Amino acid sequence: MGGSDGTPISIEELNKLREKAERARKNVIRMQFYDQSLHVGSSLSSIEILTTLLFKYIRDGKDPVNRDWLILSKGHAAPALYAVLHEKGLIPEEELWKIQSINGLLQGHPEIFIPGVDMSTGSLGQGLSFGVGVATGIKMAKGTGRVFVIMGDGEQDEGEIWEAMTHAVARKLDNIVAFIELNGYQLDASTEEVKPKGYLKDVWKAVGWEVFSCDGHDILSLVNTVEEALKARKPVVIFAKTLRGKGFTPIENTKKQRASPDVAREFLINS
Amino acid sequence: MLQGSSLSIREAFGKTLVKLGEEDPELVVITGDVGDSSRASYFKEKFPDRYFNVGISEQDMVNFAAGLSAVGKNPAVVDFAMFMMRAWEQIRNTISRMNMNVKILVTHSGYSDSGDGSSHQSLEDIALMRTLPNFKVIVPADPADVMRSLPVVIKERGPTYYRMGREYSPPITNEIDYKFEIGKAYMLRDGDDLAIMGAGVVLWDALRAAEELEKMGISAAVINLETIKPIDEATIEYYARKTGRIVTIEEHMIYGGIGSAVAEVVVNKYPVPMRFVGATTFGRSARSQRELLDYYGINSQTLVKKALELMK
Repeated sequence: MGGSDGTPISIEELNKLREKAERARKNVIRMQFYDQSLHVGSSLSSIEILTTLLFKYIRDGKDPVNRDWLILSKGHAAPALYAVLHEKGLIPEEELWKIQSINGLLQGHPEIFIPGVDMSTGSLGQGLSFGVGVATGIKMAKGTGRVFVIMGDGEQDEGEIWEAMTHAVARKLDNIVAFIELNGYQLDASTEEVKPKGYLKDVWKAVGWEVFSCDGHDILSLVNTVEEALKARKPVVIFAKTLRGKGFTPIENTKKQRASPDVAREFLINS
Repeated sequence: MLQGSSLSIREAFGKTLVKLGEEDPELVVITGDVGDSSRASYFKEKFPDRYFNVGISEQDMVNFAAGLSAVGKNPAVVDFAMFMMRAWEQIRNTISRMNMNVKILVTHSGYSDSGDGSSHQSLEDIALMRTLPNFKVIVPADPADVMRSLPVVIKERGPTYYRMGREYSPPITNEIDYKFEIGKAYMLRDGDDLAIMGAGVVLWDALRAAEELEKMGISAAVINLETIKPIDEATIEYYARKTGRIVTIEEHMIYGGIGSAVAEVVVNKYPVPMRFVGATTFGRSARSQRELLDYYGINSQTLVKKALELMK
């Protein structure tokens, strides 16, 4: 539903998505009350991308070639995915607090037995290849489905990404949109320290992808970019500038993945 | 019955795959640039739209196949056994974990890529693949066996590892009238004193060993296990009880392979003395697979020697 002035999203819808993203963010921060090993920083980097895709673009359905696919290749952002799926009504609230517990549904990384999860991930670098397979199968069946794959910048170190990105171009796919979150951190340190990634956009472009950039925390920027991406006649990659730990100041824009339950509690009381 | 004797195992494979493509419109074949060497390219000639050469990209190949499976295709991934193992983690984390309908069909296993040497010879793959939940592991003996079992494997839903060699394909099962079932071992020759169990091309050696032993007055059964996982526990237990002695043979490391799989059943069901014939280290280059099998003692002579040890 677009705005009355021809923009791809009305101010009402934009505000609704922002509220959902904010609730999902708070729920991810709250998960730290219950579990102290979640990748909260990485999850908060993905909230707006997941909210935008799941509420505005992903078309659900039973027919695998006439629905859209969402592949969270950076599977360690699972808490964000679960929090947004909760906003969609697919995951009950009590399950959010049981994340990673022995009697809970939600695993540390996505599994297909969890409602709303399209691919079991967790080992980095595998989602894009899977997405290229899904997109190819959809084209073979002349289906209308589209594939969205979300990756991290650290994940770009994986060799399989090269295999998959060159493959997507060889297949001439125009029904796949990849996101690469540029939050500047990987597990041990900043991407600059571990392996600088300034070449990424040039490489993806040279290989034959249509390259876009956007602010990965600004839903309007995301919507405008996805609208352009869906018009492209080749595979598209969107480089989304994000912050690790966005919106949770005790860890924001640091390599820290989490804070103590007390810090999280105090933060939520004061925000 | 089955006219496989004039073909190599990979020829039988390539031709059978084309036949199966005619029967199943959802069958798609994916290879990592070894279409010609594996004979998967016969499928391309007939069904170009259902054939994908992804390039020399084994990790991508495996997850690409999983994606095709997710939208209802029946993907068969074809590569050399050794290079398929490069994508073992992808096989484990995507196909096995999601229990996806992907058939992994490998050629050039064991020493069959004799000339290329140890980099191309796969002696660890059965051990690696049979640890994976949801996976079935199948090792056909000869071209006739491929024509018999590959159609069943392609029709079956769920992940399967299917292990073949290359050129060297002595006839083993040509004369046998047998309907292949996943999980069922079958007898190539009956016997009372000892059972030789194995799978793949080395069953030819098992049959030669049984003939030699017969001359010495020892009656040896030969069992084609074929399905390594889920293994036919009933048949293994039956022959453990019947003969009281088992020798296994495999073109694979003896660590974690077919002999280990048999031993796991034997110690649980009916412990009997066992001996293992197989590889213990890397291979090397040779002009033929047969030379390598003899060089490493994976042959009828070693089987006879081990059998006589057990008969003492």
